[in-house]
This record gives sequence, structure tokens and C-alpha cells, in this order.
Amino acid sequence: MSSFVKYLLLAEGFAVTTYGLGWWSVPIVAALWSFFSTDAHRVRNAGIAAAAGWASLLLLDVWRGPVSTMADQLGALMGLPPFLLYALTLIFPALLAWSAGIIARRPVRPPAASAHSASS
Amino acid sequence: MIVRGIAALALAAVLYAGFRPVGPVPPLGPLLDPANGAWAGAASTTFRGVQSLSIPGLTKPVRVVFDDRGVPHIFADTELDAYRALGFVVARDRLFQMEAQTRAASGRLSEWAGKRVLEADREARSLGLAWAAERKLAAYDTTTFGYRALVAYAGGVNAWITSMRPRDLPIEYRLLNARPIAWEPLHSLYFLSRMSMTLGLNDATMKRLRAQSIVGAAAADALFPLNSPIQEPIQPNGLGGPRFDFSELPPPGAGDKSVASALRLQEKLLATLARGGRTDGGDALGSNNWAVSPSRSSTGNALLAGDPHLELSLPSVWYEMHIVVPGKLDVAGVGFPGMPGIAIGFNRDVAWTFTNTGSDVSDYYAETVDDSASPTSYKLDGSYRPLDKRTEVYRDAGGSIIATDTVYYTHRGPMQKVDGSWLSMRWTAYEPSTEPDNFLALAATRSVDQWLDAMRSYVVPTQNGLVADRDGNIAIRSSGMYPVRPGDGRGDVVRDGSSSASDWTGQLQVERYPFARNPVQGFIASANQQPVDPAQNSAYMGSDWYSPWRAMRIASLLRSSPKVTPNDMRKFQTDPGSARAQAFVPLFLAAGAREDSAGRGSEALREAARLLAEWDKRYVVDNRRAALFEAAMVELGRRTWDELAVATDTAGIPSIRLPEAQTLLRLAQYGESVWWDDRKTPARENRDAIFAASLVAGHAKLVKDKGPATSDAWLWSKNRHANIHHLLRIPAFSSLRIPLQGGPSTLNPSGGSGTSGASWRMVVELGPEIRAWGVYPGGQSGAPASSRYRDRLPRWTMGQLDPILFPRKPEDIDRKRVISTLTLSSRSR
Repeated sequence: MSSFVKYLLLAEGFAVTTYGLGWWSVPIVAALWSFFSTDAHRVRNAGIAAAAGWASLLLLDVWRGPVSTMADQLGALMGLPPFLLYALTLIFPALLAWSAGIIARRPVRPPAASAHSASS
Repeated sequence: MIVRGIAALALAAVLYAGFRPVGPVPPLGPLLDPANGAWAGAASTTFRGVQSLSIPGLTKPVRVVFDDRGVPHIFADTELDAYRALGFVVARDRLFQMEAQTRAASGRLSEWAGKRVLEADREARSLGLAWAAERKLAAYDTTTFGYRALVAYAGGVNAWITSMRPRDLPIEYRLLNARPIAWEPLHSLYFLSRMSMTLGLNDATMKRLRAQSIVGAAAADALFPLNSPIQEPIQPNGLGGPRFDFSELPPPGAGDKSVASALRLQEKLLATLARGGRTDGGDALGSNNWAVSPSRSSTGNALLAGDPHLELSLPSVWYEMHIVVPGKLDVAGVGFPGMPGIAIGFNRDVAWTFTNTGSDVSDYYAETVDDSASPTSYKLDGSYRPLDKRTEVYRDAGGSIIATDTVYYTHRGPMQKVDGSWLSMRWTAYEPSTEPDNFLALAATRSVDQWLDAMRSYVVPTQNGLVADRDGNIAIRSSGMYPVRPGDGRGDVVRDGSSSASDWTGQLQVERYPFARNPVQGFIASANQQPVDPAQNSAYMGSDWYSPWRAMRIASLLRSSPKVTPNDMRKFQTDPGSARAQAFVPLFLAAGAREDSAGRGSEALREAARLLAEWDKRYVVDNRRAALFEAAMVELGRRTWDELAVATDTAGIPSIRLPEAQTLLRLAQYGESVWWDDRKTPARENRDAIFAASLVAGHAKLVKDKGPATSDAWLWSKNRHANIHHLLRIPAFSSLRIPLQGGPSTLNPSGGSGTSGASWRMVVELGPEIRAWGVYPGGQSGAPASSRYRDRLPRWTMGQLDPILFPRKPEDIDRKRVISTLTLSSRSR
């Protein structure tokens, strides 16, 4: 499976668990991914995938309803330009995934060295 | 290790911000979550297509068709099913508003917003709003249809709350980090208590006492008279025009300082009423209604116009609906979110609407207690009776107790301690009553007489109920409970609480209520004016009535229109003409001319008079002279009533309202009255001097503040606005500075902060098939991001009305106008 497809699936995994469980599932998925994956860039890519997953949900919302109106209103309420809220909506899961991924990742070592170390 | 430590800190911080509010920022997780948060919530504000849902308690499926104005047409087999479905659809559109209103009445806003709103909660509870609602519910006959409808409605609301997806949570709950509470029938009664305060708690007693403390009782009686000096009553007096009673005002006397504690209570009360929207902008809270008989109608059918004015808010105070139960009910109009049924509307035979009567239905009593610091009993007829105590506990959003009060109750109502004295209040809103039954019964009436019967037991707030039917009958009755007092019967005094002889002795019989049915003049109109000419019936019903300028204008328009069309009715609702301006502009101009010819004129006076003379006395948005007139009127009030030495409290609320303009007009008949003298000057001013000086000063102030008379800053559209705030006063969710046609005392009155105004405009033609039009400032949805949140605002601003769909069955609605269909069916619990 190519890396692109793998991370696309991970992104949709973030989207599906967010839809089904809630936003707090993002660090859990990221931690699990980081723990089991052996990719060199698994933590960084988990952050990107989380942002991408939420972006796909956001696009769905934009298609279904007046998201820009909501962004304008919330932005005015918080004293922020609306685009910053969109950005925050992508940065927030990325930060969750990245930080959880860092904490959960295991050191990746060559299999032989690893076996030797275990037997000693 | 360092990276991991940083990551752990970052994760902790982001999780904290996700779960917990940080300063004013709500928890970010549920807010930003695109599947369940605010973004998804925006998407779920749009209802489309066909939906089927199950809710518990229905006996048969209910079909709800939403038209392109967002109005639900509810088709049910039983009335209780219809009200259950109504609870569901109203909660879907207005859940936050419903809970906010009920919390405001029950004094539980601090559970959302903490100490910032504690004072408002304390005032609500000290007024006994929640106590009264709970008493009413305890006394309610649970077998009545009204009670069962309240229960069914609550069931529908709760069905929505329990079936809501996380994304459906209204944005306001997210911002407050709160969850909806389960709805109970009591919450509907809380709302009624709140409405009773807004419309039925008359502050005339305290206002008059304040004047009494400054200029004595005789002058105070004249400034705030029991009877309007201009009579254009609701119950026609047969004169065919206004009657003027312009006797001379007695001079100001020595102040009566014995009313000090009552005055302190006045200040508290005024602050409370201001929060409730009661004291803003003169008669901007005033309402209009009128009906014409077939003989004066262009179509030969009775016509009815409803135009209730209330505090404006987003979402709107009203929700529009249509309910059909074959063979029993077919009614459309507007109701209050939180209350089952339609308050103002029409069915296949009858149309009705209300204005506030403004009668005096509350009294104050000076009580004698055993221990002023911690009373346990109060004196009555020589012995002490135990006080009821109610401990009021206020909690913040976290559930912590932030304050505790003890509210004491006599048999009359709650007591408040003011300047060391205890005053209790009796108010008709504290009496057992069944308003839900009254309003629900109106929907099924088939004639004017049936409608009037359904309102016989109505208690509070007192309302001028106007009704017309398809047989061409029109009628009005000022319905509600009017207490009968001992002695002279007046309610604008503080009575001795230690004697039961001070108590109400009964209530006015319905047959003595102000009433008119098919009067010879061919029309009926009400605009919060004194309902009956005291020359015909001198029974005390209140005092200090709104000046009848709006009533005079309506009567003038109708008298000059022998054949009124429905479109005329619509245009009258935003008519820019003003009886007040018609009365006062000539006085300014004549005074200016006399001062000038007497050699006391000036270039400034001539210029101001020239500009005012250019005005056609119409408050249209592109006029530049109405602002001058209003500035001159403000100066005139200040200079004339300088004896009252008006103070302003810290919130900017005048601690006394100046006498009504009708009293000023009465005074203007006496050019040398001592009231004209400005005590700050050594000279002895008369009427002409004060009018001329006021005109000059008004002009000078306008030039100083807004530039020359040609400036656009003089445009009426730049001077008066409607300001429609969101319930949380969030600017982004509000619509502010809306220019309007209309000014003080016009039929579309504007005044003060612009937060009150026409809350619903309706015209109904009662022909063989009912035709109706209506609009309110807002939209059906309570979701600020929804396209239906304020979609009606442009047409409301322009004075336009929408045709109201009134189908007999779902198939009668043009498919192009259906935006959504919802089928509700039963679900076992």
C-alpha cells in the first residue's frame, strides 16, 4: 500500500472517529498509530492526516450549510478574522495528533539489534 | 526526552483548551469539532427534504409541512398530538430562547453566567416571579385541557432534547458551555410570569409619589393624572373625535418627604422594569390594533390589524405556526416559544389580537414586622401573623453557591426592605389563573361572542382583546383582573399593611370592563390609551395613561377613509404622521412669531422657526426636520419641568419619567402659568418664552452635534434606529442601527434605545375565505447562522407584509413553497 493511500485512510480514520466518538478521539487514534507504525515520519504525518481528516469534515459542512456565516459571526464574537477560525480548526487536531504521537511513539531499531538487546 | 516532555505539555494544554473554557473562550473541542461542533451546527440549521422521526406520547402520526417562510403547518388527529408536535418543532428552532426566557423569569441566569447576572436573578426572585408561577401550577386543575396541553407540549420539547445530535446543540449553549435542561410545564408558567412583569407591572404609583415628594400631592396628581386630559378612548364615547379636558394645573407646592421609602423601592423597581424592557423609549413599547366593520371596508368584509409592540430581540419573541386538527382546530398566527398555542392569529371564522391595557393591577403596603432585621411575623388587625419564608439560593455554572437570600411573604405577596421599612406588594400576577386555557380556547371559537366568552376568566396581564368574525362583527374588551380597592378605590398610593381594611375587596365584574361591539362609527381602535372616557365610567382602572397620540392618529386615518382596503391597513401600521407633531409644531411656530413681534426675537429663533416650518410633520427616513422638532421637544420638557429636578441614576435611567406630552399640551393652554418659569433664571418666563428658547436651544444643539441643517446627519434615518439585540447581546448575532419610518408617538413608534417596537404586524380580511398577511422582525430559526434567522427583517423594515399560507390540508400547499416535510410518529418509551 502506498504511503499516500495509507495516510489518506488515516485521515479518514480521524474523520470517522471524530464523527462517531468526538474530537477527543483524535489523540487516541494518533497515539495508536504512532505506537504501531514504523514509518519514519509517522508523527508528523499523523498531524497532517488529522488536519486533513477534519478538513474533509469541514468541507462537508460547507457543502451542507452556512458555515461562512457562522465563521463571520464567531470571528466577530472572538475578535478574530474568520479565516483564523478555519485555520484553528485544522491546527487544533494537528496539535492533538502530533503531541499524542510524540508521546506514544516507540523507538524504531533494526530487528537484529533489537533481538540481541532483548536476549542479553 | 525533551521533545517528549514538550509534547506532553502541548497535549495537556490543547486538551485543557479542548475540554475547559479559557477566559471568555469556550471549550475549543466541542466548538471546533467539524462533525459535532459549531460548523456542523451551522449545517444542521437548514432543514430540507423529507424526514420521519419518532417521538414518545403521540397517539397518531403527525405531519408537519414547513413552507418557504419556515412556518410549520401541523396536521394532527388530536389537539394534544398537535401541541406535542408543536413543542418538538419549536424546540428544534428556538430551544435556547425558550430556556433563556424561563431562566430570566425564575432567576436562574447565574447558573449560566455567574455573578455578572446575579442582580437580575435577585430582582426576579424578590419580585416573586418564580413563586407566583409555582403557586399557579400547584393550583392548576390538572384535568383541564390547558394543563394537559402544557404537559404534551413539554413532552414534545423533551423529545427534541433527547433526540438531538451533538451537532444540533444551539451555538449559545456552546458559548456558555451549558446543556439544555429538561422542559417542564412550570417553565411555560415562568414565561407567563415574565410577560406579566413586562406588560402588567405598572410603575405609575411610584412615579407619582416621586413627584409628590418634590412638588406636593396636588401638583403630582395633576402631572400624573388619573384621567388623560385628552380622551380618545377605546370604548367609543360617541363624540366622533378627541375630547380635551384642559383645566389649569395647580402650581407646584412643598415637597412631601414622607414617601421616602416608597421612592427607594421605585428606584429598584424601575431598574428591574428597565431590564424587562418596560420603561424604554416612552410609548415605543406601546401597541396598536384596530378593526373596521364591513360598512367601512372596501371589500364588505370585516378587517382587523394587529400590531403588538414589545422588546425586540433576536430570535424574535414570536414564532409563527399553523395547526390543523380536522373538525376541531384550524388556526394560524403567532405564539410564544415556550407556550403551547397561538396568542395572536385567526382561524376559519375569527381573527384576534391584543394591545396592553396598562391598568394598575399592583399595590404596595407598608408593613409592620416584629423584628426589622430578621422578621418572623407581620402585624395585621392588632395581632401578628407568621411570615412565609422562602430561601433563594443562587448558584454559578459550576454549581457553587454564590449568594443566598431570604424572601418574606405576607398574605399579599413578597416583601422588600427599603431604607429600613418593609413594603409588601400585591399584584394580580400572584393570583391563581389559567391563561394557557384561555389562549388555547380562543383557537376554537367560531364567533366574536364565543371569543369574548373564552376570555371571561382571563387574569393577567390585562389586555385589550380585539376580535372580528366572518359575520362582520367587531368587538374589543379590556380583559383581565381589575382589583377593587377600599376607600376611594385608587391604587396609586401606598396603603397601611397593618389593617386588612386596606386589602382588595374584590374584582371588577366582566360586565364593567371597557367594551365595545359594532360601534356606530364603524371601527374600533386601541393604542394603550385610557380605555374608557371617565365622563362615562369613572371607576379607577389606573393612572398616568400613555398620551393618546397614536389612538388619535389611527382614528383620524380611519375616519378619513370611508372604504378601507387591506393594503390601507398595512400602510397605516407604519404611517409616519404624528398627532403629537400636529399639536406641538404650531405652538412652537406661534410662540416664535409672538416673541419676534414683541421684540424678543433673534436671528437664531427666526432661523430655527424657518427650518421647523419646512417640516411636513412626517417621520420619513429622508426627512431633515423631524430631528429638529425632537431636539426642541427634549428642551421643552427639560425647561418646563425644571421643578421636578430630574436626577439620573448610574445606569442612565431617569429616576422619574417626565409627565406625558398630553400634560404639556394641557399646560400650553395657560400662557402665564407659574410652571413655565425657569427657576434657574431671575426672569419670570412664560409659555412663549419657554417654547421659543426650547426651539433655539434644540436647533443650537443639533447644529453643534450634527453640523448645519443641510447635513445628512440631520436625516431622520441617522437619528432614530431600531436596535434588535440577540438575547445574549452578542453584536454579531444582533441587527443594530436599522433606520425606520416613524418617530415618537407615531403608529410605528421609535424612541429611547430603539430596543422596543413592532414585534408582529398582521392584517386579516374576514371574507368567505380568510386572507391574512403578517411579518415580524427576525425569522423562524433561532440559529444565528441560519438563513431564516432574520430573513423577514428587510420586509419588516420597509413596512411590508407576507401573505400567510392557510391550507386546509397538506396537499393544498403549492409544492414549490414546501421546503421540508416532517412526519412524527409514536415511539414506545
